Amino acid sequence: MVEQNESANIKDDEANRALMTSVRGAFFKSISDFRNADRPGKIDRIGRIGLLVPAVASTLIIVLILAFLWYESVPIFVSPIGGPGIIVSPTWDPNRDLYGIAIFIVGSLMCTGIAVGLAVPLGIGGALFLSEFCPIRLRQPIKMIIEMMAAIPSIVYGLWAYLVLVPFVKNNIAPLAQSTSNGLSLLAGGLILAIMLLPTVVTISADALQTVPMSFREASLALGATQSETSRKVVLSAALPGVGAAVVLSLGRAVGETMAVLMVTGNSLQIPYSLFDPTYVMTSIITNQLGYAFVFPLWRSALFAVAFILLIMSVCFTLTAKLFIRWGMKTRGYI
Amino acid sequence: MTAKLDSESSLQRLYGRIGLRDAAKSRRHLSDYLFRIILGILVVIIVLPFFLILIQVTGVGFSQVFGTGPGQGLEFLSTFPGAGLMGGIRNAFVGTVELIILASIVGIPLSVCGAAYIIEYTRPGRIREIIEFTSDVLAGIPSIVLGAFGFAFLVDFLHLGMGIVAGSLTLAFMMIPTILRTTEEALRAVPMSLREASLALGATKWSTTWSVTLRAAFPGVITGVLLAVGRVMGETAPLIFTAGNSLIVPTELTGPGSWVASMPYTIWAYISDPREYLQVKAHGTALALMMMVLAVDLIANLISRKVTRRIV
Repeated sequence: MVEQNESANIKDDEANRALMTSVRGAFFKSISDFRNADRPGKIDRIGRIGLLVPAVASTLIIVLILAFLWYESVPIFVSPIGGPGIIVSPTWDPNRDLYGIAIFIVGSLMCTGIAVGLAVPLGIGGALFLSEFCPIRLRQPIKMIIEMMAAIPSIVYGLWAYLVLVPFVKNNIAPLAQSTSNGLSLLAGGLILAIMLLPTVVTISADALQTVPMSFREASLALGATQSETSRKVVLSAALPGVGAAVVLSLGRAVGETMAVLMVTGNSLQIPYSLFDPTYVMTSIITNQLGYAFVFPLWRSALFAVAFILLIMSVCFTLTAKLFIRWGMKTRGYI
Repeated sequence: MTAKLDSESSLQRLYGRIGLRDAAKSRRHLSDYLFRIILGILVVIIVLPFFLILIQVTGVGFSQVFGTGPGQGLEFLSTFPGAGLMGGIRNAFVGTVELIILASIVGIPLSVCGAAYIIEYTRPGRIREIIEFTSDVLAGIPSIVLGAFGFAFLVDFLHLGMGIVAGSLTLAFMMIPTILRTTEEALRAVPMSLREASLALGATKWSTTWSVTLRAAFPGVITGVLLAVGRVMGETAPLIFTAGNSLIVPTELTGPGSWVASMPYTIWAYISDPREYLQVKAHGTALALMMMVLAVDLIANLISRKVTRRIV
């Protein structure tokens, strides 16, 4: 047994030595190659290494973001005051050392739910119109407007929502539902988020719809289906993975949207019971309190915990969108 | 034949044109017709907010940006806010331009060189997948999370302090994914024969990449850069904790003198202020910012359309 081990060790040693010499050899060889090379050759070799560094930059940044948010949020997760229970604890009161972040998660999810519920049917309908029914003369202008909508800064959406949408909710929608509200509400947040998501949903879904081969449509029409039946039952279902990716990506954007939601949701520390109650979302609490909190270790750490959860959520959404696209590649082969 | 056509009333002809005549044929035709109408209405609903926002921002802010009175027009962009924020927004305008320039100096080389390495030097496989995946993740990260990261890493850990350097580095992180992915697409579209011709003439890989491939992909790269600049220009959240705010332009690179204002931040600050005249200034700033962003976006659009037309 021992002998076997020893012989194995010797073998390992030999293998290691061989590897080392080969690595060392390659290293020295590349050095001597570099010495012997002429000027363009030297530039080529330096350039190859010089390009490798920027290539890993995005990976490095992601790793740094994960590391720093984790490092900053560890204190609250290990401290006896906080602990992992803060994720489900509903009371946020830094003055009494209560750091429950459940209300923010609930607020974010409710806002996102309303926004996605409104934006997805609208957006898919719009994408269907753009790719299947739109007169060719109208298509380019509409596409351009939608691209411009995607480019409008979120603070401008926030300004408009604060000055137009909030009074509209207060004066027109709340009385309709026989309820009173100052307008700064869950509904206003959901509405402005839906408006901001629409360009994303429309553009990505329209792209997905347009990759469906023309022969599918021709086959369906030749069988006697009307154009609407073709678009709903053939084109839409053929483009389902791409549309799914669009929905998931818009979910990610909705959860992470900051300025517009911050300005219209009222930022009140309560779980909303109706559409017209104010609410507080995850991005808003970071924006509002990180500036004051950074000298208080636990408070600051709790805010970074919120950011860490947001980060994990957005990574999950990106991953799901990728899975949708991979599913499309596997089953359809043209997305 | 012509007489028969003429005998059709104009109303009937209109029905024929908008498809109502077909719709009356059967239930399936009717539902087809209704479906189309509903989708058309949906598109109107989708684009409506764009015009509502445009009307609101232009209606209030037009006189600030295009007026000729005192403190309006160019004067609005070229005077400092001064006492009681009565003046213009020069601090924000110059701040945004400086932030964008510094962010571009860091962000563009990083992402363009990265894309060149991925496409020209690696084979399709693990490494390429990992880099593309991480850049997609980076593109999806909420802007406030990037802001918090910038605060924790750049401001606190690296002791850069709030100011123009930390702010523009955070913006540079946001630019990387957009430029990286568009540059990759542009490099992929460069025909292999160009590279082969260059290599066959004895050029090294480096000079092929630098003076042939990247040159050919240049319009695509510019499109990506402009899209990223347009996106980053309107970001508020990453700047709140990294760039600070200031009533003058930054005078130094570190320390309190480097705090810098930006147009989105100024809109936010002014709109949260109860003073009436600041609301008008906020609209004026929003209009100026929107025009800048849309202009950059439009140019990117034009270039990319020209490029696709040339390739196809």
